Amino acid sequence: MDLDKLRKTAAEIVSRDDVKYLLGWRRGTFGYRVAPYFIEDAAGVDELIFSPLCISNLATYLTLVEKLPVPRGQEPDQRKVALLVKGCDSRAVAQLLVEKGIKREEVVVIGLPCPGMVDRELLAEKYPETEAAAEVKWDGEDFLLVGEGGETAIPRTEVLAEKCRLCRHPNPVISDLTIGEPVEPWATADDSGVAEIEAKETAERWAYWEEQFSKCIRCYSCRNACPLCYCEDCILDRLDPTWVNRAVNFSENTAFHLARAFHLAGRCIECGECERVCPAGIPLGKLNRKLARTVREEYGFEPGLDPEAEPFQAGYKPDDPEEFIL
Amino acid sequence: MTEKPKLGVYICHCGINIAATVDVEEVTEYAQSLPNVVVARNYSYMCSDPGQLLIKNDIKEHGLNRVVVASCSPRMHEPTFRKALQEVGLNPYYLEMANIREQGSWVHEDREAATAKAKTLVAAAVAKVRLLEPLTSREVDAEPAALVIGAGIAGIQAALDIADAGFKVYLVEKSPSVGGRMAQLDKTFPTLDCSACILTPKMVDAANHPNIELLAYSEVEEVGGFVGNFDVKVRKKARYVDVSKCTGCGDCAKECRLANRFPNEFDEGLGKRSAIYLPFPQAVPAKYTIDPEKCLFLTRGRCGKSPKCVDACRAEAIDFEQKDEIVTFKVGAIVVATGFDVFDPAKKPEYGYTDYPNVITGLEMERLVSASGPTGGDIVVHNGEEEITPKEIAFIQCVGSRDQSVGNEYCSRVCCMYTAKQAHLIKDKIPDATVKVYYMDVRAFGKGFEEFYDRVRREGIRYVRGNPSEIFKRGNKLVVKVEDTLTATPLEDEFDLVVLAVGLEPRSDDRKIIDLLRLSQSPDRFFLEAHPKLRPVDTASDGVFLAGCCQGPKDIPDTVAQAKGAAASALIPLARGKVAIDAQVAEVIEDTCRGCGFCVSICPYTAIELVTINRMGHSVEVARVNEALCKGCGSCSAGCLSNSIQPRSFRDRQILPQIAALGGIR
Repeated sequence: MDLDKLRKTAAEIVSRDDVKYLLGWRRGTFGYRVAPYFIEDAAGVDELIFSPLCISNLATYLTLVEKLPVPRGQEPDQRKVALLVKGCDSRAVAQLLVEKGIKREEVVVIGLPCPGMVDRELLAEKYPETEAAAEVKWDGEDFLLVGEGGETAIPRTEVLAEKCRLCRHPNPVISDLTIGEPVEPWATADDSGVAEIEAKETAERWAYWEEQFSKCIRCYSCRNACPLCYCEDCILDRLDPTWVNRAVNFSENTAFHLARAFHLAGRCIECGECERVCPAGIPLGKLNRKLARTVREEYGFEPGLDPEAEPFQAGYKPDDPEEFIL
Repeated sequence: MTEKPKLGVYICHCGINIAATVDVEEVTEYAQSLPNVVVARNYSYMCSDPGQLLIKNDIKEHGLNRVVVASCSPRMHEPTFRKALQEVGLNPYYLEMANIREQGSWVHEDREAATAKAKTLVAAAVAKVRLLEPLTSREVDAEPAALVIGAGIAGIQAALDIADAGFKVYLVEKSPSVGGRMAQLDKTFPTLDCSACILTPKMVDAANHPNIELLAYSEVEEVGGFVGNFDVKVRKKARYVDVSKCTGCGDCAKECRLANRFPNEFDEGLGKRSAIYLPFPQAVPAKYTIDPEKCLFLTRGRCGKSPKCVDACRAEAIDFEQKDEIVTFKVGAIVVATGFDVFDPAKKPEYGYTDYPNVITGLEMERLVSASGPTGGDIVVHNGEEEITPKEIAFIQCVGSRDQSVGNEYCSRVCCMYTAKQAHLIKDKIPDATVKVYYMDVRAFGKGFEEFYDRVRREGIRYVRGNPSEIFKRGNKLVVKVEDTLTATPLEDEFDLVVLAVGLEPRSDDRKIIDLLRLSQSPDRFFLEAHPKLRPVDTASDGVFLAGCCQGPKDIPDTVAQAKGAAASALIPLARGKVAIDAQVAEVIEDTCRGCGFCVSICPYTAIELVTINRMGHSVEVARVNEALCKGCGSCSAGCLSNSIQPRSFRDRQILPQIAALGGIR
């Protein structure tokens, strides 16, 4: 990764009059952690990084940032938001465009072809001693741990994040400019990482999810981190009618997760943020990937690839085989 | 809600329709026990005057503010009871119906189970009615004009009736002349009056009527809006002839370099026409048209030194620079009269229609016997070797009708009679001819039909009951292989000419009209009326009416009758000048709408659009419902992720308690 080029480009972009800020990553407060970084002027770019630890999807912030009321007599800030996107992140941007969650002219998309990200927790578990100071870099397909004590090569398979192992779109599908050379997809056509669960008997599967959903503390991190969960007023928060009760128990938790999964069917771009941020370790990625695969296989549809696409199952066709409407 | 709900529940016997299977007394008793129910009654016919009076009196006497009627499907009588509520000053939308007939007594046999189900349905309706909100329907102005699509006899008649009533009519016809299929016919059964003689005056009337704007050689491209306010866009195709100059003299067609080279569509390909043509002598408007696919000048850019039509035209009417023209206008109602296609007998190869020139269709026979036809009314055919006047003639009925193998299960309703008529005409013109008709059943159901059928049989036409299996050639004769099913005799009869009484089919280009007007098709693929008995000319799209064979096969009297019916229906909004807009439509909660537009693309009626609003200083897009277009189907609501669009009276908070009650939860 040519960091200098990235920083130079970022500096140019944030200096533009029509850009409000640039969304990137910088080192976190501790260890292998990386934090989202809002850069408002060119001086800030020195801290900007792009490393195998920059796993978070910044597209979330496009809709998460609250639109504060504009005081009377003032104009809303119409400037663009620039953001760095990996392949998966770019799909979120494309899907947001499909859903009119953002407008194309509101964003500057800087594409970064992504050779795959490291699962930070796995890394910390395997290489705890270097955590305080080390950096992680790509080394061809593999990773390189650069610390005070020198360099340690880490084989790709050892710490690669699961969603990256299954990634089919490592290159940005939409961008205004791209930094870095496109990477060759390592496409795993059919593997969605759910075969193991699919192989279980129904009762076993039920028991598995019962265990998983029972862990949920309903912190809603999954919803908040999801780039495509951005309704101003989520129906799961509503009281009239109360679709999901606030009680934290298996039944209500299941209702919550299934409702969310169905709301994401045909929309989820498999960035894995829900699973990554879950403090209870619920494998939400599996749930969403299962639905994404069903949509792919049964309907031949994959969201977030074409910003001009018609949204999934949100179209009326006069020759629709279902006759109940007219 | 400010006032406490006071419910009246009314259980209908529907004669014995409900009462025989559902214990109405038990249901009434149960209803009485439900929360907020002040009065529960049952009566033999709730929809009758005394039945409605029961409700009205209770509203007055007990101060009811909500009413549940447990009877039939709301399709028929919801308006009835709404009106009853309104008459005594209660908001008509404070009504909920429980369908204990179609969803109860009619589909169950077990009295106990049917009664239990009726109770549940009543409980669900009670649960919902308490949460209904008062709604007010609005009225909007209706444009005092109508669009009629198709100018066959149906379209012409509908247009004339609407125009005579004093309203503007835009009569759009796809082909260069009005007249449609009826213009192609010779005599009409059973009275044998000449088709052209009775049609031509109407064609001229339609063209000259001060209230009718005839748009011939034009196609409807877009229809937007809703009943009372349709926005129509029509493409007037270029004729390459200035109609204001053309005198219809025909010199151009005679001089055309490709004179008489192309099969004339009007004569079903039996006659020939030039690249510039008048479809038939009585065509209206009597203006020539250049076929852009055939004309040398238009296809190749040159036609000798200069196009011969241009040289021949003394009126200087030929204009190769002419372009299609787009016309837009507003109408309040639309009559669809797009007609039919005849069955293509090539789909039944056993009849050899594509192999033998003397196997022809009924419509071809019409042109052959017509005095204005390609032979001047002489019945001559080519038997593969020579032109002959056929002496032995066969008619085969039900070709492409009542035939599952070609996908047409229906009876085409005209073939029996046009066959009898054609057989008669043949006897008239060739007295020594023998004519046999192979039939499955003869359906002579109309006024004067049976008499006519008797008459042609007395004239010596032989009717043989049997469905021919094959037609093949032997020598210079055609052999019809058939079993006479009345005598169980296999026959191989020889003929000079076989006429296939082809049935009527939906037009092959119907899809376009369906998409334009959001029409539905019945299983036979013809356009679907709103109700088979009570709304036979209406469609599911308000303000769009059907006339003629586009709705199903019909003879001329039925077509004219239906056209007059469609015209009368279309006149309702025009004459009233206003259309009521149902209040039970979708409503957007703009505060939570995220403007994704899913509802816009889901809506089957294009009733939703995105509009920009100011939300705390920010311009954001939200959905907005055009209440005149919305049918309250709820598709939008199902697609909305933030539940920001919901049909009134079917909001989540109204139907969830209903569903809960169905599940036994109060």
